[in-house]
Amino acid sequence: MKRLEGRVAIITGSGQGIGKAIALGMAREGAAVVIAEIGEANGLQVKSDVEGLGGKASAIPTDVSREDSVNAMVEQSIKEFGRVDILVNNAGIYPVSPIEEMAEELWDRVIGTNLTGTFLCSKAVVPAFLKQRAGRIINIASGRALQGAVEGAHYAASKAGIIGFTKALALEVAPYGVTVNAICPGVTDTAQPRGHRTEEELYAMAAKIPLGRIGQTEDLVGPAIFLASDAARFVTGQMVIVNGGAIMW
Amino acid sequence: METSEKKIAVVSGGAGGIGAAVVSRLAQGGFVPVILDRDESLGREVLARLGLQEGQGAFLLVDVTKKPQVHGAFERVRAEFRRIDVLVNLAGGTLHAKLIQDFPLKEWREVIDANLKSTFLCCQAVFPIMKTQRSGSIINTASNYGVTGSATRTAYSAAKAGIIAFTKSIAAELAPYGVRANVIAPGRTATQRVMGQYDAETWAAKGREIPMGRAAEPAEIAEGVAFLAGDDSGYMTGQTLHVNGGMVMP
Repeated sequence: MKRLEGRVAIITGSGQGIGKAIALGMAREGAAVVIAEIGEANGLQVKSDVEGLGGKASAIPTDVSREDSVNAMVEQSIKEFGRVDILVNNAGIYPVSPIEEMAEELWDRVIGTNLTGTFLCSKAVVPAFLKQRAGRIINIASGRALQGAVEGAHYAASKAGIIGFTKALALEVAPYGVTVNAICPGVTDTAQPRGHRTEEELYAMAAKIPLGRIGQTEDLVGPAIFLASDAARFVTGQMVIVNGGAIMW
Repeated sequence: METSEKKIAVVSGGAGGIGAAVVSRLAQGGFVPVILDRDESLGREVLARLGLQEGQGAFLLVDVTKKPQVHGAFERVRAEFRRIDVLVNLAGGTLHAKLIQDFPLKEWREVIDANLKSTFLCCQAVFPIMKTQRSGSIINTASNYGVTGSATRTAYSAAKAGIIAFTKSIAAELAPYGVRANVIAPGRTATQRVMGQYDAETWAAKGREIPMGRAAEPAEIAEGVAFLAGDDSGYMTGQTLHVNGGMVMP
């Protein structure tokens, strides 16, 4: 039995990496997926991948840091699929920078995409969720929110902010049966760490992780589907930490 | 299917309220459940209700606070089923709730042993089996009280906090063998044992204190256990999954 049959899921930043894996995973479980992605070509590629699996998808170019863009995306999702049941706030950026060189503009961009983007997308779907007295919000935070990050003060702050936001929103919408949770991935094998880490550095990181490897995007799919499915209807305001034991919280 | 090809799940405290739901959920997920419990009639009833015949499930009468009994039980499971894929340690409970100045040492030890020592003994007994298999998933049961503490529940809160730290430690020890260990932390759960402590009105009022407006159903805890038992959580180890309707958000 497919666990998300008949559901509509919006996954932000799903043109690549973790978001793409979650979109494909949710589609395999029967959900129609909205690829809310700033990079139009990537978004269209994932849409066609989902359709190749026999799933339903829509690619909607979206800048999660802009309220008008987010609202238009949610509106169009509801117009195309008639409803929305699941929101995965995955869109995020991590441009490394030592604090003394961190321009205010860069800080604003990281907070604006990662944290404000999560706020804007959540705000846009909540009215529909409250009305249908059901809905799932899954925020992609990070182990960095728990332990900080060298050259990633903006990123760590944005991800810790997501966790605080998750708990506060969970309290607010719990009376309506809507749940809000966060997934904290560890280092995951995507373009992001490969952009600023050598292969040797990644191997060294893997050696320090109890399960002996860095994460693959597929590792995040099961937890995301669990949180989106009926099985997790009483789980809210929580962090699900998926990192091979790198940080045990 | 041959017995040896089936996945085996040992559930300590499998005759209890949450235990029965976990056994049912794991059986539904294709596991052969093996119940370790002190209550034989209740334990056999759980298996009978699921319509499990010989070989599809088993009950072993075990006091999980007694090392020889625990090790003997795991030997029997190994002899009969050849493997253990999942261990769920659910045995335990609050047992005694008293102010600290009134808490007898004997009762303190009972609570610590029933919750923490039983978890240690079962994990120790399953370790060689899972190590040889180079696979396995252990789920230990804590409680939101293991994070927040609770007046009159000093022993229980200490035991549950102990289980969380114990699980992190064995997670690190077992990881090189591909064995995972995580914690399920139920909040207030609507088992007969717990509900029996309140009149209907108080129970409803207690439910309203929880953000989602009610206590957990045992089946909802069982879903969390099933998630931690299976491949969906394959890259998770040393973590705690709280299923509490938002009662505590650590």
